[in-house]
Amino acid sequence: MGFKTSFRGVSLPPQKVSNPAIEDAPLPKKVVLPLGQSENRVCKPVVEVGEHVKTGQLIGQSDDFLVAPVHSSVSGTVTEIRPWSDLSGNKMPSVIVESDGNDSWLEEIRAHEDFSDKESAQLLPDVKAAGVVETGPPSMPLHAKFTKPEPSKEFQFLVGIPQSKPVDTVIINGIDAEPGMAAKGAVLTKYSSEIADGIRILQKLIGSAQMVLAVGSNGSVSSPLSGELAGLGVQVFQGKDKYPLGLNPILIKCVTGREIPLPDGTEQDIGVAVVDAVTLVHLVEAVRDLKPQVDKIVSVSGAGITAVKNYKVRLGTLVQDLVEQLAGLQGDPVKVIAGGAMTGVALFSTDIPVTKEIDALIFQTAAEAKSFSPDACINCGLCVRHCPSRLLPNELSKYCEFSMFEEARDKYLLHCIECGICAYVCPEKRPMLHLMRYGKRELSLA
Amino acid sequence: MEKATSLEKPILRVSVAPHIQQKITTSHLMYNTLIALVPALLAGIYFFGFASLKLALICMATAVACEAGMQGVMGRKLTIKNGSSLVLGLLFALICSPELPWWTAVLGVAVAVILGRGIYGGLGNNPFNAVLVGWAVMKISFAAQMATWIMPEPLFGLEAGGYIEYPPLEVLRLDGVDALLDLPWRDLFIGNVPGAIGTVCVAAVLIGGIYLLARRIITWHIPVSFLASAWLFGLIFWLIDPEVYANPTIYLLSGWMVLGAFFLATDKGTVPVTAPGMIIFGIGCGVITMIIRYWGGFVDGVAFAILLMNALTPLLDRVRPRVYGRVKQVA
Ligand code: SF4
Ligand code: SF4
Repeated sequence: MGFKTSFRGVSLPPQKVSNPAIEDAPLPKKVVLPLGQSENRVCKPVVEVGEHVKTGQLIGQSDDFLVAPVHSSVSGTVTEIRPWSDLSGNKMPSVIVESDGNDSWLEEIRAHEDFSDKESAQLLPDVKAAGVVETGPPSMPLHAKFTKPEPSKEFQFLVGIPQSKPVDTVIINGIDAEPGMAAKGAVLTKYSSEIADGIRILQKLIGSAQMVLAVGSNGSVSSPLSGELAGLGVQVFQGKDKYPLGLNPILIKCVTGREIPLPDGTEQDIGVAVVDAVTLVHLVEAVRDLKPQVDKIVSVSGAGITAVKNYKVRLGTLVQDLVEQLAGLQGDPVKVIAGGAMTGVALFSTDIPVTKEIDALIFQTAAEAKSFSPDACINCGLCVRHCPSRLLPNELSKYCEFSMFEEARDKYLLHCIECGICAYVCPEKRPMLHLMRYGKRELSLA
Repeated sequence: MEKATSLEKPILRVSVAPHIQQKITTSHLMYNTLIALVPALLAGIYFFGFASLKLALICMATAVACEAGMQGVMGRKLTIKNGSSLVLGLLFALICSPELPWWTAVLGVAVAVILGRGIYGGLGNNPFNAVLVGWAVMKISFAAQMATWIMPEPLFGLEAGGYIEYPPLEVLRLDGVDALLDLPWRDLFIGNVPGAIGTVCVAAVLIGGIYLLARRIITWHIPVSFLASAWLFGLIFWLIDPEVYANPTIYLLSGWMVLGAFFLATDKGTVPVTAPGMIIFGIGCGVITMIIRYWGGFVDGVAFAILLMNALTPLLDRVRPRVYGRVKQVA
């Protein structure tokens, strides 16, 4: 497969990464486990207050196909089941488990289960039962990716036309897209046997699809892995050091030459599945070790931590607890960001649990934290030069600023992939990405 | 359960992504443009004496004062620190004759800042290049003052170029092609001819332009398409009739051509922002400049070519590359 590498974007300042080790974060005293991923996709709790749970025990599930089951990430006692704020401040029903410090697992993890003679039909339930969730965006249970998708909204009125394409290309995204992220590169080095196993599992799940492993410019594939990859028929795509290559829409474009049909389309509409390298490791653990997802590899950086470090954090650990246990954090962080530096969400409180969607945490001191200004656009064109969707962000931002949302839609606002580049380059420091998201939100409500 | 760590419940700042920003600010763009204009100003001082410097300072001071006054009256945030009015003032001075009476300069800059830019909402929101608006108003109202030219008198080193007594384009217009036959191109290139302060020395302007390109303050699209289209257009006519139309390179090296291509036709806000739009804009500027130079009512067409193309900018911004993920409309 021939790869393309030309797209618009920016070179972000290079980040230092401490050696690709993944440390285990200390066991938290308490975990807060949200029962869903969004307001309308929530599990029902299957445990009661006061009940003793073991690590890996199922505590919430749902019949909804798009909801991943939830497992306890520590052993201990369920102390409360109540709403808890998620990243964006929505109250999400959550199970709170007080750890007993033993971390006793529900059952023996059947390490290195032989999955080679299992069929796809047998594997998929394992994936679903383990509650593996793709980091996203969009964040969704992994098993949903490999199942026949619902027809896209735009084409629903078309009857008799094939509405979805079978997946013919699987891209394993091993590119750490944004500053503050280093987990994927680390996983490629440290978990190379898991990556190879993961590819075997994907081949079973999807069948005859071309597999492509995408690595960043500095991410190298270790020689045993590359040998195995060649044996498995996996192509390696070595990306260049330019943002937003690691974001799925652009990565897909570079690897396959196809574009996700926006605004409503998904990667499934064009027969592509992108799997995060970190998610792949969880997938392997789910299928090979029959181990539910109870932890998440999170990159931590900023506020004294100059080189990004990776931690394996138990799900539900509060950011606050994590902060107290991390070494090297200096100064008073005034901003805590869940996600990468370009698209991450700034937390309003440190009482937020680490969830399956969080892949990085950035702490910024007052000197590092940036702010935006309400100044008018000077039409310098920098944002236009760099927008990977080839939009005119200057014009769109003005439409959104002055509530002309319909005009913005006519000018393809919904094709914005929310990469944040326009706000990154803007010399007037306008809150460009905010304006885009604001406009999209208003349109979705209209 | 309050613990006494400094990290206990910090008051967090919440803002939207991205959480890093490029260092480039508007001031960075403007001061770099200012730096890029310095060689042209130095060349002006070298050839026309310190009157040039005086005029430049008057213009810059006026621009800053008008900007500040305007923003004060309108109750807007003061933005004089970002250097955009300095650039405006200096550019205005550079396209004027060193002999320009000071009051004309003040009036012109005031028109540029207030009518050219301020009333539209300031930097980047004016439809027409503010410098050129100020200049055009002066050119039409005070034609005589705007057209007094003096001979270059290099401060040291060079012999004064005495081949022509008017700017080369005027000579071409008045005396025809033959009058320029003796004029060494070197004089044209280094600016040893009568003309406006900052436009005579093509070499100095080029240095500034290349600096802008190297610092990525501007892109190549407009300057290259501007100059190339003007040259090619001139070439066609030169090949048709060299008795009437001069060598296209002379046109390139004289008048405002290079300054216009690098500094005036790249003015933020008044020019297209998409790559195809910029190229069409440049071609339009180049061709219209040559048309005015050949057959128009003004000797140097750069100003009016750019102003004309400014008017087309909103249209040219519609010429754009295909948006990501755009599917053909079904139904
Ligand atoms: S408009 Fe959207 S896609 Fe374009 S640069 Fe801005 S955030 Fe990225
Ligand atoms: S980068 Fe900022 S100032 Fe420049 S055109 Fe875009 S929105 Fe306007």
